[in-house]
Amino acid sequence: MQTLELLKNAAEFSVKGPLQSIKFSIGGLDVTISESIVVQWLVIIILAVVFFILGRNLKLKPTSRRQMAAEYIVGFFRNMVNDTMGVKYKKYTVYIGALFCMSLVSSLMGLLGLRAPTSDLSVVATWGVITFILTQRNKVKTGGVKGFFKGFIEPMPFMLPFNIIGEIANPVSQSLRHFANILAGSVVGGLVYFALGQVAGGLASIGVPAILSLYFDLFSSFIQAYIFCTLTMAYVSMAECD
Amino acid sequence: MDLLSLVRAASEAAEQPTFSLVDINADTIIFTLINTGIIILIYFFFLHKPVCSILDKRAEAVKKDMDDAEKAREDAEAARTEYEQRLEQSKEEAGRILSDATKRAQQRGDEIIAGANAEAANIKQRAEESIEREKKRAVNEIKDEIADMVIAAASKVAEKEISAEDNERIISAELERIGKEN
Repeated sequence: MQTLELLKNAAEFSVKGPLQSIKFSIGGLDVTISESIVVQWLVIIILAVVFFILGRNLKLKPTSRRQMAAEYIVGFFRNMVNDTMGVKYKKYTVYIGALFCMSLVSSLMGLLGLRAPTSDLSVVATWGVITFILTQRNKVKTGGVKGFFKGFIEPMPFMLPFNIIGEIANPVSQSLRHFANILAGSVVGGLVYFALGQVAGGLASIGVPAILSLYFDLFSSFIQAYIFCTLTMAYVSMAECD
Repeated sequence: MDLLSLVRAASEAAEQPTFSLVDINADTIIFTLINTGIIILIYFFFLHKPVCSILDKRAEAVKKDMDDAEKAREDAEAARTEYEQRLEQSKEEAGRILSDATKRAQQRGDEIIAGANAEAANIKQRAEESIEREKKRAVNEIKDEIADMVIAAASKVAEKEISAEDNERIISAELERIGKEN
């Protein structure tokens, strides 16, 4: 009887996409702002406050842990870019750092019970598009327009379609990986919450999901941000024409 | 209609429309681009720039400190060399002073010895002169005594009083002759 009840409830469990939070129109143009964007605004506020606190009043002789942390974070991204891309791509440090922080904090929003913007394909696809643009730009920059087009027919002209697919597949796979990992995490988390809520009168949902949350929210968020940034760096620096 | 279904209906009415789970929405992309740009700016101006500037400043300060230390080391080295040179010089100076003093002392000693020798020679000469003089005096005295004795002897021999003046004159003449013969 109880099992039947559980199954009946389980049928009602569904995972929906992000809410269409705000709708308005400017000059006859309908604009729909999704939940992801609203949460991103929160992310912006959080990052602005954190960065502002970390980055202010720095001293030549570091005395505070705050400054140590700030230097560690900047040094972390600096080293990451230097190690993966090389020193000549130093200026990408800012983009990679910002992307990492945004991705990480966005994913961590799941911990606050909000919908993580990174579980929205549109958000992650945007970063994928940025990666794609940076990659193509680096090709043109290092090889010129001629080198850019020549790259598509190498090593053989008949490789052209595969090369094109390869170019597009990179950011697509990268975006889907990030999006799917975070979404899957939130789905599994939701399922666990739902299931634990059904047994033992909902008492089991206290404490137990914390362990899963540790993996799906904390670890996965960090790892996905790291992977996304590393892939971006790898794609951009590998696009270099000889 | 019971209460439960009423609540459910109300919540369904309040439920906002959602995007589908796997969907690419142009509005979301545009806003995400804007938000990403904002976060890049925030990261750059609030964290990256201040930290990088402080790191650069620190690197400069460390370089300066190291240069200063190097300079100080060089200065110390130079000072040490100079000190050693001076020490060497003063050692030489001391040696020279010592040898000068020794030489001078030697000279002075030689002078003193020479002076003493000269003095001794002088004294010796004077003594010799004095002895000579004494000898002469003694000879003269002996001469006088011999004269007196001769006179006494002669007067006894003559047994006759000759005037003292005649005696004196004869004997003196005689002695003078003897003296010359000597």
